[in-house]
Amino acid sequence: MKTPDKNDTQKPDARPSKRPEAKTREERGTEPAVPELDFASLDLRVEVVEERISPGETNVFDK
Amino acid sequence: MIQKQGFPISLVFPPQGHFTQPYLALPCLKGWLRAHGFDDVELVDANIEAYDAFLTREYLEGCRARVAQRLPLERFAGVRKLGFEDLAAFRAAAECSASGAALAARVDEAKSVLRGGAFYEAERYVPAVRTIYHALRLVSAAHFPSELTPHNFTMRYGNDRSAEVLAATRDEEENPFLPFLRAQVLPRLVARRPKVLGMSIIYGSQLVPALTLGRLVKEALPDCHVTAGGGFLAYIGRKLMGAPGIDAVLDSLIFHEGEAPLLALCSALQEGRGLEGVSSLTWFDRSGSSAVAVENGAGHPIRLDAAPAPDFGGLPMHLYLSPEIVIPYDVNRGCYYGECTFCTLPTVIGPGYRTRSAKTIVDHVLKLRDALGTSHVNFITDCMPPGLLRELPDELIARHAGIRWWADARVEPKAYSEEGCARLVESGCRKLLFGFETATPRILKMMKKGQSLKSVLDVARNCSQAGISVTFYAMVGFPSETSEEAQATVDFLVANSDVVREVSLQTFHIDEESHVFKTPAEFGVRIRSDPTADLQLYHDYEAETGMTQGQAAEMFESMMAALRAHFPLFSGDNIFWFMQKSHYFLHLARGTSPDEFVSRCRRRADRRRQAGADPALIAGADLAVVALPFSWAEAVAGLATPAARAARPDFLTGRFVADAEAAAAAGTRPLERAERALVYCGETAEFAEVRSDGARVLAALQRAGGLGELIAGLPAAARENVERFAGELARRGILLPREEARPTVRGAR
Repeated sequence: MKTPDKNDTQKPDARPSKRPEAKTREERGTEPAVPELDFASLDLRVEVVEERISPGETNVFDK
Repeated sequence: MIQKQGFPISLVFPPQGHFTQPYLALPCLKGWLRAHGFDDVELVDANIEAYDAFLTREYLEGCRARVAQRLPLERFAGVRKLGFEDLAAFRAAAECSASGAALAARVDEAKSVLRGGAFYEAERYVPAVRTIYHALRLVSAAHFPSELTPHNFTMRYGNDRSAEVLAATRDEEENPFLPFLRAQVLPRLVARRPKVLGMSIIYGSQLVPALTLGRLVKEALPDCHVTAGGGFLAYIGRKLMGAPGIDAVLDSLIFHEGEAPLLALCSALQEGRGLEGVSSLTWFDRSGSSAVAVENGAGHPIRLDAAPAPDFGGLPMHLYLSPEIVIPYDVNRGCYYGECTFCTLPTVIGPGYRTRSAKTIVDHVLKLRDALGTSHVNFITDCMPPGLLRELPDELIARHAGIRWWADARVEPKAYSEEGCARLVESGCRKLLFGFETATPRILKMMKKGQSLKSVLDVARNCSQAGISVTFYAMVGFPSETSEEAQATVDFLVANSDVVREVSLQTFHIDEESHVFKTPAEFGVRIRSDPTADLQLYHDYEAETGMTQGQAAEMFESMMAALRAHFPLFSGDNIFWFMQKSHYFLHLARGTSPDEFVSRCRRRADRRRQAGADPALIAGADLAVVALPFSWAEAVAGLATPAARAARPDFLTGRFVADAEAAAAAGTRPLERAERALVYCGETAEFAEVRSDGARVLAALQRAGGLGELIAGLPAAARENVERFAGELARRGILLPREEARPTVRGAR
């Protein structure tokens, strides 16, 4: 059975979170539209999964 | 005719089966019973009712709450490595966290799309189907590790062990059909108090839900006789009736064709006679201290041409997930050819090949067309016989039937001449499915297919040139087949993808009715049996030559990848039209030619591929981003290997392969922790995984309002990096052109 590793502290952004609600223009007020991020050096890889098709899932031969 | 009033009969199609069109057997039985005096026959499609009930906002919200309790994503937060045994749970938890709110908000609309005119718009149809698929994942996660898909239902229990099957019927936590049947179906049956409950079990995926209902009814209505029949029980019925505890869920079982035995059963029960005289029935004699299964002799098949039209009255036609109903209608029973060594389908209906006349068929089809208000027909047949291929089109044309139809067929070169194909099209034929199987003549001979590659291709070309869409059934892993021979099959199919639009690829299985099982030495295989599986139907085998079962499973993946690369209908998410029964056909029936449809598929795939970093890209209204402690993509990939898939009961057999779980665990490298985020777009119902940096950029893009606003003023290198990211997300359906974003009616919560 697995036991949680007490030494493996959880990073704040590793917790499940909900998407921040979009703010209205008024709510955004004077905050910058683009936060201070170094966009050029960010790791922006995207992983996708091609859903596999099982033999059965393509079976149209049923009586 | 003697009227048999006051004898209510309920015929139920249990979950799980197709959700696109009604199933035929029960309407046939209803028509037969009514023609013989039983006028109070109710049809219940518990399968479509269950799908409809599960695919609602309210039900999915309940599932979200269950998943949060049973499979919280937080469970994985402190885990250092993720082993194979936890991959499925992690995947379910991650996907439900990201997609649950949007799915609940959008599922009702998705059903409406499939049932209405928007069905014919690709950009509405595909996201709707995806939403249905993902919603069923949410339902499954709420009952983890059970899995309900549009095509299958499996649990942790094996279908080949009666004790496990019976345990599954009592599992309140993991059997979603138990509370559904108890709350939605049983009260109606209790109010109606049928004298007989008949269930049709044609798929292994129906076994547990059907016996669940049997148990509920036997407990609530002890005087109701619970019987069952159907193709799957024709295989395992004898073993099932001999298994301990089955008498608590069934009173009898009908083998093979159901009309005559069910009529005789109802008559005997109504008249208070014993069941000894009911042919093709196995029943429990409860006169002693314990129930004893009694097997009666087989009866004679009915004269099919004298059978009445199926009676679909009472089925909830508005619930099927298609905009127009495609009526199933059986033109014959049994197979006129009946030689193929791998095929046991004709055995399920019982001995004897019978056909209806063309006149009877058209009489019935016109009656059904007018009664049901649809002109689409799925002729049910193992394969359409040559004589009927001449007579049926003539009759349909002469009587101006105005229908559109599809059917299974056998390669008969004379019947599918250029002239013959033209008549078929004129009669409304729009799609035919042929048993191609393999491009290797040696294997074709072992299969006793009685067809050459030339004849197959001639027939396919004539059909295609006439405007009939051609589907080929193909098989991988027939005993002694080598991987080179399987590759030759793929090469042949790809080379002829201009005339073959779809391929239904199957892996070879050995069931106990097959020639291969009965004469294994003839095919060079040794059959393996599991003595602990008292309901075993399918068997593993060891082949003396050619691919092993495992190699055939690997080959299947390779073949499917090639088909997806070369067949426009299989490319990307175009495959959804193929996978939902009759959905592609409905486009053909509406007047779209196979060539036009293929062009549409190509254009869709090209458009997706060519999508770029348009400044007008935005995040959809309910885009969700969930931080993960492991890679979702790696988890999905780990679950997709042939070894991993063997650890789950497969579609056809519904059984667990011995030691497969341990083998998969041993062969799968545990996942290391990784900072990832799973992204879900409700509009397109697409998932993608990004790094935590990507999640930050998505949040920034949402705050900015769109890509154009985000990148305005960025230095070139930063802009280029973000545009590359946005372009990839656009191609994956995560970011949308502003004009295509489609908020939900009520908005996601």
